[in-house]
Amino acid sequence: MEPINSSNGGADEILVEQHSHAKIVLLNRPQKLNALSFQMISRLLELFLACEGDCSVKLIILKGKGRAFSAGGDVAALVRDMSEDNWKLGAKLSHMEYTMNYVMATHNKPQVSILNGIVMGSGAGASIHGRFRVATEKSVFAMPETVLGFFPDVGGSYFLSRLPGFFGEYLGLTGTRLDGAEMLACGLATHFVPEERLSLLEEALCNANSSDSAIISAIIDEFSQHPGLKEKSVYHLLDIINNCFSRRTVEEIILALEREALNKSNGWISSTIKSLKAASPTSLKITLRSIREGRLLGVGQCLISEYRMACHAMQGKVSKDFMEGCRALLLDKDKNPKWEPSKLELVSDEMVDRYFSKVDDEDWEDLKLPFRSNLPVHAIAKL
Amino acid sequence: MASSLDRLAFRTKILTNHLLPTSQTAPPLLPSPCLNYTPPDLSDPSQFDTRHMRALLDGHNLADRDWLFGLITQSKLFCPRERGVGRVFVGPDYNQSMEQQREMTMRRIEYLLERGVFEGWVTGKGPEAELRKLALLEVVGMFDHGLSIKLGVHFFLWGGAIQFFGTKHHHEKWLRDTENYVVKGCFAMTELGHGSNVRGIETVTTYDSSTGEFVINTPCESAQKYWIGGAANHATHTVVFSQLNIDGNNHGVHAFIAQIRDANGNICPNIRIADCGHKIGLNGVDNGRIWFDNVRIPRDNLLNSVADVSPDGQYLSAIKNPDQRFAAFMAPLTSGRVTIAVSAIYSSKIGLAIAIRYSLSRRAFSVTPNGPEVLLLDYPSHQRRLLPLLAKTYAMSFAANYLKTLFVTRTPESNKTIHVVSSAFKATLTWHNMRTLQECREACGGQGLKTENRVGNLKGEFDVQSTFEGDNNVLMQQVSKALLAEYIAAKKRNRAFKGLGLEHMNKSCPVIPSQLTSSTLRSIEFQTDIFCLRERDLLSRFAAEVSAHEAQGQSKEYAFILSYQLAEDLGKAFSDRAIFQTFIEAEAALSSGPLKDILGLVRIMYALISLEEDSSFLRYGYLSPDNAAAVRKEVAKLCSELRPHALALVSSFGIPAAFLSPIAYNWIEANSWSSVQH
Repeated sequence: MEPINSSNGGADEILVEQHSHAKIVLLNRPQKLNALSFQMISRLLELFLACEGDCSVKLIILKGKGRAFSAGGDVAALVRDMSEDNWKLGAKLSHMEYTMNYVMATHNKPQVSILNGIVMGSGAGASIHGRFRVATEKSVFAMPETVLGFFPDVGGSYFLSRLPGFFGEYLGLTGTRLDGAEMLACGLATHFVPEERLSLLEEALCNANSSDSAIISAIIDEFSQHPGLKEKSVYHLLDIINNCFSRRTVEEIILALEREALNKSNGWISSTIKSLKAASPTSLKITLRSIREGRLLGVGQCLISEYRMACHAMQGKVSKDFMEGCRALLLDKDKNPKWEPSKLELVSDEMVDRYFSKVDDEDWEDLKLPFRSNLPVHAIAKL
Repeated sequence: MASSLDRLAFRTKILTNHLLPTSQTAPPLLPSPCLNYTPPDLSDPSQFDTRHMRALLDGHNLADRDWLFGLITQSKLFCPRERGVGRVFVGPDYNQSMEQQREMTMRRIEYLLERGVFEGWVTGKGPEAELRKLALLEVVGMFDHGLSIKLGVHFFLWGGAIQFFGTKHHHEKWLRDTENYVVKGCFAMTELGHGSNVRGIETVTTYDSSTGEFVINTPCESAQKYWIGGAANHATHTVVFSQLNIDGNNHGVHAFIAQIRDANGNICPNIRIADCGHKIGLNGVDNGRIWFDNVRIPRDNLLNSVADVSPDGQYLSAIKNPDQRFAAFMAPLTSGRVTIAVSAIYSSKIGLAIAIRYSLSRRAFSVTPNGPEVLLLDYPSHQRRLLPLLAKTYAMSFAANYLKTLFVTRTPESNKTIHVVSSAFKATLTWHNMRTLQECREACGGQGLKTENRVGNLKGEFDVQSTFEGDNNVLMQQVSKALLAEYIAAKKRNRAFKGLGLEHMNKSCPVIPSQLTSSTLRSIEFQTDIFCLRERDLLSRFAAEVSAHEAQGQSKEYAFILSYQLAEDLGKAFSDRAIFQTFIEAEAALSSGPLKDILGLVRIMYALISLEEDSSFLRYGYLSPDNAAAVRKEVAKLCSELRPHALALVSSFGIPAAFLSPIAYNWIEANSWSSVQH
């Protein structure tokens, strides 16, 4: 492997290996758990766009070096920039990242992401939109943004809302972690391949010489297993989750959980309530609205909406919870964020509405997504 | 010349091939490339903010609507089915038997109940609670009209009757249980022999002072209760409308509560129930017939807000005038007319969204030999079929919102306005819906015949709207009658018109320019003038004709009946003008920008298509034949101006993809062999 552009700082954080038919893209920032930096996102976007017109590329394999696929965005760096009162840098990053998410979701070549490790936040955004997601026994998935005072972005309102029943609301609001078997069961992963077989799988994919989804799927099938869910898996609780997380408001969701707790004492319920109480109340409300709206929208519209929300969160005019969450968890690490408003009932509908409206700033514009043509059927279905 | 040479060359080639049959240059047969589905969303980017437009059209409770859309799409109970890759559609399974469809309706109600959808539907108070309820009912109706009708009967008719006709002890006893479906209510008003004429019903109730009970009886076959939604399978209780006869004196129609089934679903003694049978639509609703065989109910079961009977059998009423007493009983039917008018527009939106999306991806015929085939909506004739209906649907969407506002902020003083406006809009909007669905069905060609594509099926499901809660023709006559009463009162007492939007009658009569230019035709002033002119002229013509009949010795009632032609024209004129007014108000509330511009274009189309379609403009000379021709030309121009916005205009309806149909999306993939094998 060789760096694609060694003259640029941090350029070796994305390594590309060109096989005769496939391109293997490696996220190579293991000491940061492959957190996606501005440069990495920019490079990924460039790469994916270039692959579309390149007949020699039939397939893109995306994987991470070390124990993570990608643990998220480079939030610490972002927050440093924003503490200098410059939210527009954050907006620029989101603009590029969401564009990348869109390009991946609507790509004309199949993307196979090998999720052998941590997949969170931006990491999920760089993989779940692709055609194939291969989980392993080491996979750990989460969208943990609400505890940071943010919300599941990078297309989370699209892919979480498409999960069975109200599992997406549950994952998005609580930031619950899933293992590989659970990812497969709920549809976040399309396949489960044991880690020891990954190199064989990669080899087979590189020899495939096809962009046909059915052929690629059959190849991955050959290496796949159907792992059973653990006895304690949250996915066994889908009925309770549906019953509680289908409620109209966050307050009613918590009430429903508390009612369940009266019926049967259950460690799951109390830990769920606990994680909801730890999250930013504003984040919970905008997250719920975002998933509910996103369920009815195409992936492009979801990203446009999330871009509005992200800009509002970074601008900090409605609430400064994002800065506060980053301070408490990433910078000062006192793990004691002071949310403002501090309670759900203090977050009004009007405040929530503002996150979904245009940002009041002279040179702010809605996310403009690139024009796409020549789309495969599965990408058309996402529009 | 060139083409005849081409033909010559072509013929020569064919002849040569015949003469030299062993031609080795003939190309091998190649599979022709499949048509490509191109999502219109890519080629027709929106020029305005469709989210903002959606907010304007839906008007209220957007997040609540989205929540309910999600509750429906995320549950297996609503029959999600994947058609093609990654597209899931919901909708009732019409392949099920009538009995199965009814059971599914009930199971869906139980699911929605359990998720808290109906919280506050009966016990909630104030405009906010009412608007929320209306919004949720609209969403349910977009999934299945039958489901919303079943809910409407239970909550609006049964629940509404108890609220409006009942007093405190009825409220305490029944409302909470109604909201939680502990009791399942129905509403027994219509009989085999009497529908719109409720005052003629034949069911009789007498009072037995020795036991303190009312005795309800069906005296003859034409008195059997008919079309009673919920009665055939599920309802446990009903409101019964009946003549109240005390000691041989008939006090007119009153409402009573009677139990018809026990908690286990067994029919009560002295009640007979039969099914209304299979229908052209709404088979998920269990319409039944009821006979009462001297059914005894406690005295308390008289819904006594309007009139009461003392334990010893004295008839007591605060409203002495039987006409007014009857009018008070009709109040809950207003809510029905409001919800019907609104749901008709949502049904039109579904039809148009499907037909227009299809017409932006389906091609037919080439204009040049070997040229690409042309998109259906690029044919001016296809635009003319669909885009005026789209503009009307926009106009009526604003009208429906106005009607809802009027209803939820009602006062005793606004009752008359609500009655007239709801009658006019219910008739106009439901007729518009049926017409729109038929046009959309035809515009979808053969695909429109498939139940999964919804449009054709909606015709059967929504046809009933022109009949229930007041026959459309009867309602429109009532509108004209009410306008006539206003006219006579104003002239007699020489006082100004006030209310029902008739204030324009106080001004001098508008003058229409003799030659209408394009810019005049497009101006709000001209459009307002001509709608007002038609209404005021028809009103005075109508009044004159009625009084002419009266002068010839006809009774007032018969004079009115004889003047039916003008009554019909006048009702339409009132309705069109009132709808137009709600449109210009919605437009005026916007600050200038792309949204206002596009809405202006749609409003112009609404006004001009109304002028073109209604022959009364020519018949009575509001438009000269030349001007009518100018209107027609302008409509064609408007069609091509609206064409680039067609997709954005239907996207603004905010209907989730899952509630549309396969032909609205990738219909090639949805019909592919691989999707057959799934």
